[in-house]
Amino acid sequence: MATLFISDLHLAPERPAQLQQFVDFTLAVASGADALYVLGDLFEYWLGDDDLDEPFHRRVTDALRAVSASGTAVRFMRGNRDVLTGDAFAERCGASLLADPTPVDLYGTRTLLMHGDTLCTDDLAYQKFRAYAHDPLNQARFLAQPMAARREQMLGWRRDSEAGKQGKTAEIMDVSPPAVHALLREHGYPRLIHGHTHRPGRHVHHVDGRDCERWVLNDWYSSGGYLRCDAGGCNLIRL
Amino acid sequence: MVKLHTNLGVITLELDAEKAPRTVANFLEYVKSGFYANTVFHRVIDGFMIQGGGMEPGMKQKRTQEPIPNEADNGLKNDRYTVAMARTSDPHSATAQFFINVADNAFLNHSAPTSQGWGYCVFGRVVEGQDIVDKIKAVATGNRGMHQDVPLQDVVIEKTEEV
Repeated sequence: MATLFISDLHLAPERPAQLQQFVDFTLAVASGADALYVLGDLFEYWLGDDDLDEPFHRRVTDALRAVSASGTAVRFMRGNRDVLTGDAFAERCGASLLADPTPVDLYGTRTLLMHGDTLCTDDLAYQKFRAYAHDPLNQARFLAQPMAARREQMLGWRRDSEAGKQGKTAEIMDVSPPAVHALLREHGYPRLIHGHTHRPGRHVHHVDGRDCERWVLNDWYSSGGYLRCDAGGCNLIRL
Repeated sequence: MVKLHTNLGVITLELDAEKAPRTVANFLEYVKSGFYANTVFHRVIDGFMIQGGGMEPGMKQKRTQEPIPNEADNGLKNDRYTVAMARTSDPHSATAQFFINVADNAFLNHSAPTSQGWGYCVFGRVVEGQDIVDKIKAVATGNRGMHQDVPLQDVVIEKTEEV
């Protein structure tokens, strides 16, 4: 048996192939696993749980609900794109919502789960926007607007974000090693699993004389994939 | 009642200890200990609210007491000139920071016992000094470090008194 991790699918109606790959993954791979963890950015954007009945959203939540119904525990952590998912979304998926970060015991190995954006501390412009987007008063005010106004505002932020990326180096948008080390130290040197950076791989951090494994999940823009962990360890698997 | 003496004038709050007993007791403890002296209204959004009571000038966060349970299901509404507790995304995380609504913000009212539905606990209202609130909401604001909507000139709570 195994536990599976995915993130950064960025599912959107304009990319139907990814949705199909995700649905296939939930049926063929995820159902029957011990647990499926979604570590953020399942959606390209989420404008509020009052949009749950939109047909595209329903296909995604139905797929997760089927995984949950198969007996696989489904856990969801919000990313930066779907930070506004709430209890109603989780209930529809048969999932439970996770705080960021969340520590878990994975077959005897202490493991810390995150979306990953909080580790990109060198990207000050992003961290500033993150503080704004995670503020609950701002969120409540945003959610009180009509859906069309929310969409308009979100598209504006995305344009700003894409324009901002032009002037940023790859290093700035990756995790900051000092931030990773501080986090590992604070949490007692666990294994770390996160997404967000779209730079999949296994890294080993030498911190205070210990070796800590850090797994970065892949995005689903070109092709899907997941991290599979069992008692023997973890592997990144491309679909 | 509590008077907030700011550098722009005095705001008098009438507190509703009947509807929000834990929240009022908590607020009065901070008032009595002098916690709010030399804190600023650090977040000012005209048409929405003015928030303060947790930062010193220079955006230095003050150490607070433990968080309190959220009493937003008490029926009080986030109407203009009411005062409510600020918090993080955890509904039960309010400590010292509060905000004064400068518009009817119905979307901040309690609607369900969920993280997005808990709302913000109103525990009093401005009975004198509404003009001071209006002055504060109109000050020029900008970015400061990670913070947005920060007044360019500090709006300071110089002292508080229970009357």
